[in-house]
Amino acid sequence: MSTMTVDLTIKDLTVEYVSGGYAVRPLDAFDLHVHAGELVLLLGASGCGKTTLLSVLAGILRPSAGVIQVGDTDVTGLRGRALTDYRRNTVGVVFQAFNLVPSLTSQENVAAPLWAAGWSAGKAAARARALLQQVDLADQAGKRPGDLSGGQQQRVAIARALAHDPPLVLADEPTAHLDYIQVEGVLKLLRKLAGPDRVVVVATHDERLLPLADRIVELTPRAAGSDTPMQHVELAAGDVVFRQGDPGDLIYVVDSGDVEIVRTRADGEELVLGRIGPGRYFGELAPLFGLRRSATARAAEASVVTGYSVRDFRQRHGPLVGDLIASAT
Amino acid sequence: MWRVSVRDLQWRRRRFVIGLLATGLIFAMSLLMSGSVTGLRNADHRILDLIGADAWVVAKGAAGPFTASTAVPAAAADTIAALPGVTKASPVALLHSTARLPNVKDVNVIGYRTGGLASPRVSKGRTVQYAGETVADTKLKLHVGQTITLGGHRLRVVGLASDVTYYFGTPTLFVDLSDAQAIYFAGQQLAMAIVTRGVPAANSNVPAGLSVITPAQARADLARLLKSSNQTIGFLNGLLWIVAAGIIGSIVYVSVLERTRDFAVLKATGASNGSLLGGLALQAVILSVLAAVVAAALAPLLAKGFPFAVEITIRSHVTMLAVALTIGLLASLAGLRRAVTVDPALAFGGG
Repeated sequence: MSTMTVDLTIKDLTVEYVSGGYAVRPLDAFDLHVHAGELVLLLGASGCGKTTLLSVLAGILRPSAGVIQVGDTDVTGLRGRALTDYRRNTVGVVFQAFNLVPSLTSQENVAAPLWAAGWSAGKAAARARALLQQVDLADQAGKRPGDLSGGQQQRVAIARALAHDPPLVLADEPTAHLDYIQVEGVLKLLRKLAGPDRVVVVATHDERLLPLADRIVELTPRAAGSDTPMQHVELAAGDVVFRQGDPGDLIYVVDSGDVEIVRTRADGEELVLGRIGPGRYFGELAPLFGLRRSATARAAEASVVTGYSVRDFRQRHGPLVGDLIASAT
Repeated sequence: MWRVSVRDLQWRRRRFVIGLLATGLIFAMSLLMSGSVTGLRNADHRILDLIGADAWVVAKGAAGPFTASTAVPAAAADTIAALPGVTKASPVALLHSTARLPNVKDVNVIGYRTGGLASPRVSKGRTVQYAGETVADTKLKLHVGQTITLGGHRLRVVGLASDVTYYFGTPTLFVDLSDAQAIYFAGQQLAMAIVTRGVPAANSNVPAGLSVITPAQARADLARLLKSSNQTIGFLNGLLWIVAAGIIGSIVYVSVLERTRDFAVLKATGASNGSLLGGLALQAVILSVLAAVVAAALAPLLAKGFPFAVEITIRSHVTMLAVALTIGLLASLAGLRRAVTVDPALAFGGG
């Protein structure tokens, strides 16, 4: 059981994987420092990288680049048994769908990580009972997950995450499957977890959790505000306006020349999606919906483009985007 | 992590019990088959031991007394008895026939000379002393004093003998040699072999047209009759093991498929691949061993339905257990392989 006090430090974390033949980068040069005792909320829409970040923090997914340090441990450098030990002793995870083993009782579900670590049956049972007591489920120790409510299952999952008293606890959408009555108990419990010796990271898009947090990290780039100034860009042939995977804050209008929109597959092959000529615009979806750029924009010849914030664009070229912008606002 | 596997078996107990019974039945069939081979082989040994010959004299060129097609003169027994090394010699007729009891039944017929070799140990009544008498195999369910018909000759049952079945469980009738000669050799003074107590010396003058074979050769002659059936049984046994392996493998593999999320969660919470694999292998071993126990209980009950003695030995049980463990583990390899590849990141998936 760990009693160490740790800070969580994430530097330049990039995760890239292949999906549908294209390289996807949900996390790109992500930095974060969390002090022991803090509860951090990762906020963002589906697909913005919340679960990816938790997976990396849990030592389950290897990042493409960057460093994660939990106390003195460089998580990204762990391999084999050291990684198993990290998962076992340093990090506890509360999964989105509870993910309790249906054949085990509540007490056995909590004891399972202890069995994996070689604890004796008696010691593991005693520890599991104590943890169930802590989450007010001592009287449900002998019941299987199917006999428990969603809130009770989530509390068993939290007790399981605490089996080794880890200094880092991760919770993935802990309120996703709960009604408002059940949510209350889980929220209190999550707040209690963030003691002076522990960092708690909660990924959610449930804004009811906001008051719990010491820190809030927005992983979804917010729809571009009105403060980004207009940019006038002169491009030589081959110059890039933006790259696939970049966050996006401007909508571009081609003043002269020709811009090609290119999507790059994971194997490096480029697929030209289209060419944008004078008077036409491109790159509107990323700033409108807080998405990353899904393709690269590159000058096919010497060109001039002007970048507008969403508000500026609407004021100057509203009729061109019409329903699309209207539906997003 | 073995507790997780045991709990999983309890959780899916209906499927487990069905698999256990199916595998147990297959293992029982396998035990019965090997028990059949053993029973048939031991029956052959018993009949040869009963005849008690130290040497067999058969027609020259014959492979043995049980498959010979050429008879030998019964009178040669006197000449052979006088050979150096021989203390006693008796003519015997070894035949396969049908008898009316009153229903027609296949029987082995052993014709022997009163007071000579091949006399059966009777469990009830007495041995044959005169022509027209027979000692019957208890398996024929006859009683002393009953009359039967063999080759048109009426014979009175004067005694009963046990454990004298051979040649695929065919029961045996012991008759006076003169009756066998009357029925099968048209009254000619012939026999299928001369059996001796003591072995004729190497340089002794065995009558022309005859040759001496050892008890081992006589045993091989009888065993040859069973050879193809034993091979068939062995082949079927192999198929049964494959079916059993298929059942165990399927149960373990389906279990892995259904528990993919569980494995991901357990891995994500610090369970090593080795401990998970050990748990799965344990499931296969538990299934195999319990199926072997079911088979051991079931086989003796099923054996009663066989027309011949099925002798299931301790060795058969030990062999079955070893094979069960081996195929259990081999069968679970596909499931084990699948479990290793489960990505712990799956644990983060939504419900």
